[in-house]
Amino acid sequence: MDKIWFPISLTLWVATISSILVLFSGVTIGYVLARHDFRGKGLAELLVSLPLVLPPTVIGYILVILIGRNGFLGQMIFDVLGKGIMFTWQAAVIAAYTVSLPLMVYTAKAAIEAVDREIEYAAYILGKSELETALQITLPLAKKGILAGLILSFARAVGEFGATLMLAGNIPGKTNTMSISIYSAFQAGNNELAEVLVLILVFISLLTIALTGRFVGKLEV
Amino acid sequence: MSLGVKVDLKKRYSEAEIYRKKGIKKAFMLDVSFEMGKELVVLFGPSGSGKTTLFKCISGITEPDSGKITVGNKVYYDKDQKINLPIQKRNLGYVFQNYTLFPHMSVRKNIECGLKGWEKKDREERVMEMLSLLHIEELEMRYPSQLSGGQKQRVALARALAPKPEILLLDEPFSALDMEIRTKLAEKIKALQKKIKIPLLFITHNLEEAFLLSDRILILHGGKIQQFGTPEEIFYHPENRHVAELIGMSNIFDEAEVERYDKESKSIVLKSGDMMIRVSSANFKPGEKVSWGIHPENITLLLPDFGSEDQNENIYSAHITNILNKGPRKRIKLKLLRQNKTLTAEAPAQFVDSVKLHEGSLCLVKLEMSKVVAFRSA
Repeated sequence: MDKIWFPISLTLWVATISSILVLFSGVTIGYVLARHDFRGKGLAELLVSLPLVLPPTVIGYILVILIGRNGFLGQMIFDVLGKGIMFTWQAAVIAAYTVSLPLMVYTAKAAIEAVDREIEYAAYILGKSELETALQITLPLAKKGILAGLILSFARAVGEFGATLMLAGNIPGKTNTMSISIYSAFQAGNNELAEVLVLILVFISLLTIALTGRFVGKLEV
Repeated sequence: MSLGVKVDLKKRYSEAEIYRKKGIKKAFMLDVSFEMGKELVVLFGPSGSGKTTLFKCISGITEPDSGKITVGNKVYYDKDQKINLPIQKRNLGYVFQNYTLFPHMSVRKNIECGLKGWEKKDREERVMEMLSLLHIEELEMRYPSQLSGGQKQRVALARALAPKPEILLLDEPFSALDMEIRTKLAEKIKALQKKIKIPLLFITHNLEEAFLLSDRILILHGGKIQQFGTPEEIFYHPENRHVAELIGMSNIFDEAEVERYDKESKSIVLKSGDMMIRVSSANFKPGEKVSWGIHPENITLLLPDFGSEDQNENIYSAHITNILNKGPRKRIKLKLLRQNKTLTAEAPAQFVDSVKLHEGSLCLVKLEMSKVVAFRSA
């Protein structure tokens, strides 16, 4: 049973942690891109959207360079934690986070841009700071789009394969997420296990889509 | 020390966003300087004349290129002293054209928004005070989507007034409302301003509204102040052609020249093409080029048996080419017999019917000397 349950619980865990991180950072980046002009904004937008167009293996490779033992971030992590995070579930979170962040940023940015600027000015004039206005006015009005972005990001994280494989590997009982388990079961000729996992993954995906429709539809403002 | 409003600023601006998106870049220079007290001033002018840009500069949404803005004893902006007070600190009330109520908050929460830092008890009292001031007590718990246009407008006003602003800016607040509610709200606002006694600037495109509401009217055109005066001054003594046109003077004639000044009657005689006309004015010298005009309702129609043409008295023979029914009034197009000019007059329908004026009738028109206005051409 562990062959089924472990990948499921690991995948949901990784996707959940990644989605929480994506929610906070993605909405912040989306807000800044939607409402502020600064030097290098074009470059920032390009960097954020890069994972959308790069092949997962390339993303994986770049991440390995960054967080591997000899990488710039990897060394910092090693200095702090006393161990590397390659081939751990945290590495899987990083991979999932990187590929799903652009989805959050772009849906949040579009949703925030759709909020009438004059409504924000009205709040400023009533004495609210930019942060207060963002938290009390703009984001509540953009919540439909933000929730849609969150669900998309979660779905993307659940299905993440390529970068995860390169970064977290395929260590049974440690880093074998569902999509990785399906691949290795199929390679090992264990079609029964592959089929069960495929069915469950399809079910989770359908559930996500159904939830999107339900929640987003209900969130009329 | 006067606690009024002083504005003196320059700001380059381009017309509404739509034009910019279409790639049309029309740049204008807003260049205004005026002072006002605790009165109701209506900003009147065609679209693109800089009215909203002026509001944005006063409120701090946009930074002027140069100049100074003070409200009461607070300096909002001073380029020379590098003062640009943040929007949040300006303490002004602003009602936007499309209300900008917060849709996810009840009416009560909307009004409370500007009362940050108030004691809970004071806050509740203030909200109730505002609700009753605008007679919207029953709307307290409703959401903006459950309100009519007129109700939204009242809530927006209540929200703007709640924090006791030092100046109130209203940007075409009635443009989406129907005529009946408009008039009611206009009266309400005028009474309100008298009550709370703060400077109030009001943008409108509606001429009637401008005259109904204002203590003074500020006419903007092309980013410049054309005239700033009481409704009477603006209506009877427009200073230039832009103003005359904007206030609906439909008989305007250019390229007239001052012939002479008549000391006795304190009037000037204009030669306008083949027409001589007398105007009560002492502002122009012989030889000056001017435009002149008269409001349609100031043209007096006389029956031909009353007398005969007398240019010295501004009486001309004419025949009626067209009569348009405007309900209680009729709009009459006239062609002068001996001068190459057409005029538009307006008279009560009752009068027109009783003297049996109809298309083709001959009559005399009298342009009362005191009602004819001479003004600069541009």
